[in-house]
Parts: sequence; structure tokens; C-alpha cells
Amino acid sequence: MIASARGAWSRLRGRRGRSLLAAAGIAAVAAMMGTATTVAYGLATGFDRAAERADLPDLIARFEPEQVDEVDARVEALPNVASRSYRQEATEVPLASAGQATSSGAVHVVGDGRRGYAIVAGDDLSGAGDEVVVERGLADAWGLAPGDRLSVAGVDARIVGVAVAPDNVAFPLASAPRVYVASQGLGAQLGADPGLTNMALIWSQDPSRLDTTLVQARAVSFGIDNLRFLTRAGVQVQLDEAAGIVIALLIAFSAAALGVAGVTLGATARAEVQRRLETIGVMRGLGFSRIGVAAQYGLEAVIVAVPAGALGLGVGALLAYGPSARLLESLNELPPGAALLAPLAGCLLVIVGLVALATMWPAWRAASRRPAEILRGAELTARPRRLPYPAGFFGLGARLVAARVGRTAATVSVLAVSTALVLLMLALATRLDALQNDPASLGKRYQLTVNGAPDSTLPVVRDVPGVAAAAPRYEASAADSFQLGETFKLIAFPGDHTEYESPPVTEGRRVQTAGEAEIGAGLANALGARRGSTIAAQLGSGREVRFRVVGIVAALGNEGRVAYVRPTRLLEGDPGLTPAIAVRLSPGADPAQVTSELRSRGIDTAAVGAATSSSREFLGVLADVLRVVAIVNILIALFILTQSLALTALERRPTLAVLRAGGAGRREVALVLAGGATLVVALAAPAGVVLERAVLGPAVADMAVDYVTLPLSADVGQITFAVLGLLLLALTAALWVARQVGRTPIAVALREE
Amino acid sequence: MNVVSARGLTKTYGRGRAARKVLDAADLDVSGGEMVAVAGRSGSGKSTLLHLIGGLDRPDAGTLEVAGSRLDRLTERGFTDLRRHQVGFIFQFFHLVPELTGEENVAMPTRLVNGHSSGLARARALIRELGLDEVSGRLPHTLSGGEQQRFAIARALVNEPAVLLADEPTGNLDADAARTVLRHLRAVASGGRAVLLATHDEAAAEIADRVVHLDGGRLRA
Repeated sequence: MIASARGAWSRLRGRRGRSLLAAAGIAAVAAMMGTATTVAYGLATGFDRAAERADLPDLIARFEPEQVDEVDARVEALPNVASRSYRQEATEVPLASAGQATSSGAVHVVGDGRRGYAIVAGDDLSGAGDEVVVERGLADAWGLAPGDRLSVAGVDARIVGVAVAPDNVAFPLASAPRVYVASQGLGAQLGADPGLTNMALIWSQDPSRLDTTLVQARAVSFGIDNLRFLTRAGVQVQLDEAAGIVIALLIAFSAAALGVAGVTLGATARAEVQRRLETIGVMRGLGFSRIGVAAQYGLEAVIVAVPAGALGLGVGALLAYGPSARLLESLNELPPGAALLAPLAGCLLVIVGLVALATMWPAWRAASRRPAEILRGAELTARPRRLPYPAGFFGLGARLVAARVGRTAATVSVLAVSTALVLLMLALATRLDALQNDPASLGKRYQLTVNGAPDSTLPVVRDVPGVAAAAPRYEASAADSFQLGETFKLIAFPGDHTEYESPPVTEGRRVQTAGEAEIGAGLANALGARRGSTIAAQLGSGREVRFRVVGIVAALGNEGRVAYVRPTRLLEGDPGLTPAIAVRLSPGADPAQVTSELRSRGIDTAAVGAATSSSREFLGVLADVLRVVAIVNILIALFILTQSLALTALERRPTLAVLRAGGAGRREVALVLAGGATLVVALAAPAGVVLERAVLGPAVADMAVDYVTLPLSADVGQITFAVLGLLLLALTAALWVARQVGRTPIAVALREE
Repeated sequence: MNVVSARGLTKTYGRGRAARKVLDAADLDVSGGEMVAVAGRSGSGKSTLLHLIGGLDRPDAGTLEVAGSRLDRLTERGFTDLRRHQVGFIFQFFHLVPELTGEENVAMPTRLVNGHSSGLARARALIRELGLDEVSGRLPHTLSGGEQQRFAIARALVNEPAVLLADEPTGNLDADAARTVLRHLRAVASGGRAVLLATHDEAAAEIADRVVHLDGGRLRA
């Protein structure tokens, strides 16, 4: 075995250039798989990993402040409870540190027992007077570290640790940054009564029986106001939905990576076997078995594939690790760290196996012929056909490439998939941009809002030049009374809301009376609600209001978990609800001018974004991940073209040498190769466009969001960009390969015949 | 007037103990209208000599002048220009591009020089001259060896080079086809060009104006 390996190593060294080319191909494919694996594995396991490390409770109950003893007595009586702990949560608390400040901080006063968060830097609370633990999102956003100072409601505190709790996304994706203080420490200084609680953390004995615990908890909740439950599974569903687009894209990307792997490795192996048919014939003549011949080629392939695959996987993982870690951090999840090594090792095994098989198969097939036949057939060039290509060097290149029908078809297929993926990413980037900046993408038809203004403001706003219409807009957060933990938003305009927000109706009709609701498809999916169902909304006031569903709409905001209603019944449930004013501008009106006009009348406005500012950051992180995937994809497309041309140049070295002997310079050789590459691009580009528009775009849109139709078809500009990019890649590949060809002495290339 | 003039040409392949000197201070002059045959054993360096003269390779030592150009002073671009305008090559295995018809093969080098349309006319004239009219539209794999080699001769001549280098031009042909090819080469030389052919073929040596023998890296008459 060692002797065989030494022999294989020596043969590889003997053809160093080709071995390096094959290794580069394997490394490129491995880089793609490394990127896909790193992001997909991180996202698929991030929540469980963070939940495990944070000891996340199975059930979190929030309610109006109650005596700890009173609540504990009820919780203790619940079935399936393994342990429990209690907190006091105070919201809208001012936090400040080194020039940064917010008035919407959430302070969790923690007592004894399990904490439900993981310390990722520094230490946990010891109970000393001025200690505070901050959530990682806040630490990252404000540049805080253990040892720094933080003002909590005006009290100066020392940061002792940084924590992660995956029961919610991180600040600033979550609007309220969380900090933790000990009840006998800073909690006491802040005036928190240690005898009170408004949050119970419950760990179950058997998570699969949590529904029983929930039903019982609901049954014994009399006298406890504003009770809301959040289950661990519910948290995971919400977070998974947020990452849906990325995961869907990675599935398509990984499929393309495997396609590329198969084609490039297979083509390289076949060309190499063809080159060495004579050797195979001699080996067979000397008595080597078919298995022996194939095994020898397989061994050589493994020697190349192991280091190249490991290098590529490492590079791909390193490229993707940073952006995917940021994505996970924004979701309050933990990056995989060393746990990623196992799936990467699995990928390496797959790659090495694939390379070995792709090499052994053509060797096995070649060795199955009679030795004399193999020796006679040591010929690389396929039988040429008369094809209608342009004359000259450019046309000659097209003919050389087209002569290898199988390889050209495979290269075109893989390049088409790559093109489709790039187009998909461009379309997705445009969509993300629209979601970030264009209110119309969420069905909003108003451009400005006025918050917290008295009723008398409305007529003033309507009178401002450039304002087409203005109306009060009510918005309330609610939880479904039947399926606790399912939260959604109730939105109400007096009269026809479609003047201001007009998501398309996919089923039923618009709201007409006070007791009716049209709900987003996301909410309909979550609740299993249909036209004719009743939704029971538990409002922040603790009251419940019910609506009959008359229509389902394709609303994109809040993951489609919205319900449009009339204000009457909403205000009955929560009389303290204050509206904002939605301002719709006349066509052609300048928002800046209208804003300035309103300000001159003492009215402050806010521009309507599509996503909230925190969501915008999240979308930005998503875009970073897509960029990494796109860059790797472009490199792969370049590699495919280069590999294809290099193989052609390798096989047709005598032809190119004769052209050079006749006076063709590097320019003419590049023209020949450019002709070949252009043929591939000319076939791949339209195939890629069709694939994106007809298959990938709709498939990813369906996988990403099932509550709305997300248009993901590339537009003309993007298609032009992609095709020009492909042509540029083709030219780059042609120039590079022409350079390599030019380095081989003509006399040497001629001797290879 | 000498079209080829070589003095002290030396070429060694390999290094150290594996080094093999195939040309050792070889001298050669070939004038326009002269047909010179280079004879020698296999591996004696005949092809190497032609490659050096044709600008496909560089000598380790010595001076070489082809059609008035000192090759030891040429850049890569200069070598390309030399091959494009002054040198025509014919190979033992013809090396026609299999995807191109006979006529396209002949016309291909004309795209490298100015006046492609006049080049195309020259290509057609040469095809006629070499008796290939009827098969000019066929792909190489459908042609006989003799026909392929005649197309190769036409391709080598189409840009009107000063010197024609033929490496074993009859090595892959039957006797009849070989005679036809040699007759054409003789006609090329008679037309004023220098023709240098490396050969084992005694008939080829007989038709040449002069035969030089390559032995131990040196040329002798």
C-alpha cells in the first residue's frame, strides 16, 4: 500500500501542472460546499445550541405583577414541572453608556434558581450591589465589555458579564435591549420589590407533554391579569421563519455545488484517463487487473483530493463563518464553533469519495477494453462534425469546444445553474432593498406618519399642500386567546383601509363592518384560520375582542401576522389606544417639502420605511451572507469556464501548437479560446435566465415565505448585468488559459502528438 | 543569397548527468531556390534543427539568421512575426485542424496577415495548383494521407514564406503519395524558396539539391 502510494505520488509529481489544476478544481468545489455547510449548519442548529447552553425554559409566562408566593403555589401545582424561577421585568427603562442611550431598556431582576441565559463573556451576577449583565446584542451595538459602566435608570452599574438568551432576537433587531440585575443587588437599588414577580420561567420534565402543562396553567390563572405564554417551540418557529430565505437559497446553492463537483471532477478525470489510455493499455498488457488499474487511478485521486478538499472547505468555511456568525448573533443564537468540524469532515469524505469515483469509473471503463484496442484508441480528438460556426480563430474555438458534446453540455448545465443562482441573488437583493426602503413593497400607500399628536392635528395635516389624504391609524399587539403564544398585530383605519394599506386579497373580501377582520396569510397559517373562522385577540389591556374572518390578504409585514379591522371594536377592547396619523402624499409631491411645511406648523413627522430600523440591520446581515455566496458562486463560474478551456487546450495542444507554428500569437490563441468560452456562455446564459425565472425564483419564493407571493424574477437590467459578467468571466478565462498555452514551447506541444 | 545561415548551433536537452547534446556547434547555409535534405538516425536532432530554424525553439549557443533576421536578437513577438511571414512548416502527421475543411485549413494562416481576401484567393490558387479542388470542402478525416499532406503544403505556402521547413513529410505516406508530395516540394524550391526537409526517405534525399548528415550533433555534407 505504501509502495503504491509512493508510486502514485511520484506520478502526480511528474505531471505537476495537471495535478495542480485538478487540485484547484477540487478546492473550488470544496469551498462552495464549505460555504454552504457553514451557513446552513449554523442556522439549522443555532437555536438548539443556544437554547441548550442558555438552559432556556420550556415555557415563559408574563403577567401583571403578583406576589411570588402566590404565583409559585400555582406553578408548583402544575403537572410536568421540573423546576421554576421568577423574575421581575421592567420595560421602558433608560439605559446609557459612553454617549449611547435608550429609553426603551428592559431590566430583568433575577432571583435564585435557574437563570435561562448563557454567559458568553465575563461572569454571572454574584449578588453584589452594582452588578449588571448585558445582552450580547447591546454589548455589540454599544461596544460594551465586562468592566465597563452602564447607567441603569440613572444608577451607575458595573458590567460583569455578557449574556445570550434565545427566547427573543437580539438588540437592535429587538427594539428593547435587555439587561439582568440581581434582586438583592442592583435590583434593590432600583426599588424592585423582591416579593413581586411578573415573569415565570418553567422547565418541564417532559417537553412533549408541555401542552398539558399549558392547559392547566390557563385553568389556574384566574386572578392573574394580562397572562401571556411563550413556548420554546414557538420561539424556534419565529426564528426559523426569519432565516427561511437564506436556508432556501443555500439548498439551491448546495445542489449547484454538487452539480459542479460532479461535472468538473468527472470531466477532469475523463480527460486524464483519455490522455493516458496508452499507459492503461500497457498496464493491462502487463497483467494488471481492471480493479488494479482503477484502484491506482483512485489512489492518485485521493492523494490530490484530501489536501485540496480540506483546503477548499477551510477557505469556504472561513469566508462564510463571519457573516453567518453575525446572522446568528442577531437572532441571539450561538455560532457552531468546533462543532462545525464534524459536518465539514463529512463534506470532505463526500468530496474525496466523489473524486475517487469520478476518476475510477472512466479508468475502469477504459480498462475493460482489450489492451490492443486501448493502445490503438489512444486518441483524444472526437470525430469532428461540420457545424455552422463563424470563420476565423473565434469560430474555430467554438468548433473545438463543440466537438466535445458531452462535456460542453455538462459545462453549459452547470454554468446555467450558476447564472440562475447569481440572477436569483440579484433579484433577492433587490427585493431585500425594497423591503428595507420602499413602503409600497409592504402594501403601504402612505409616506409619512405623525406620532402622538392630538386629535386636532388631523385637519391641520390635511390642509397642507401636497397631502392627498390623512387618517388615524390604530395599531395594537395582540395574542390569540385560543392558541397562546401566537402573537399578531391588529391594524385599524376608520373607513376603507385600502386607501392607506392595501395588501392584495387572496381569498374572500375586504372588511365592511366592525366585527369583521381580514387577516394576513401568515396569521391564517399560524392559527389555522379560514374565511368564516373567529379570531379572539387578547389585547395589552387584558381584554379580549373577537372578529369574524372575511378575507385573507397577502400581507408581508410582521411575517403576515396581521389583521385589518375597523377601530370601533378595537377601541372597546382598549380605550387607551392612541392612533398615529398616516399621511398620503399627492402624486409628485416632494416628501421633504411636505415634512418641512408640517414642521413649520409644529407637527413632527416620520418617513415610512418598509422594515423597521432594527429589521433593516437584520436584512443587511442577510445581504452580507448572500454576498459571500454570490462571490463564491462567481469564482466557481470562472473556474468552470477556465477548467473547460484548460481541458480543451490540453487535449488540443497539437492543434494550438500548429497554429502557433504558423504565426499565431497569444492574441489569436486567446481568440480561439474566447470563441469556445463564448459558445458556452451563449448557451448557458439563456438557459440560466429561464431556470431562474421559471424554476428557482418561484421555488425559493415559495420556500422563503408561504404567506405572500414574493416576486423573485430577475429584471432586464439584472439579466444584462449577469450576461455581461459571464462574458467578462469568459474573456478572463480565455486570457488566462492563452497565457498558459503561450508558456509551453511549441516544439514540446508538437512532440505530444 | 543565403536565406538560412546557422553558425555553431548548440542545443542540449536535460540537465546534469541526463543532459543530451543533440546539436553541437552545427553550421548550415541554405539559399533561396535550394532544396536541402537533412538525414540522420532517429533522435539525431533533425527535428530540433528545423524547430530552431523555424523559430519554434531557441538554441543554447550559436548564431542563426533566417530571411535576414538574427534569431538570437528577436523577442517573442519577433519570433511570432518570423513564423507568420517568413517560415512555412510541414509535419509528418499533417496536423490539419480536424474541425476545418481542407480549404479552411489552408486559409486559416491568411487571417494572421493583412489582406485576408487576397490571401483567400492565394489559398484557392494553391489548392488548384496542388490538385485538391475537388476535395477542398471535405474534413481532414475523410481525406487520404497524401491529400492531407498536400493541404498541409498549401497551408505552409499560403503566406508566401521565404523558407519551407518539412519534418519527415513523407514519413506517413505510401510510395505514390510520397512521390507526389516530393514533386510539389521540389517545385516550391524551383520557385525560389529555400526548402529544408528532415527525412529518412532516400527518395527525398535523391530529389534534394544537397544532403547533409546530422551525426553526433554535427552536420556534415
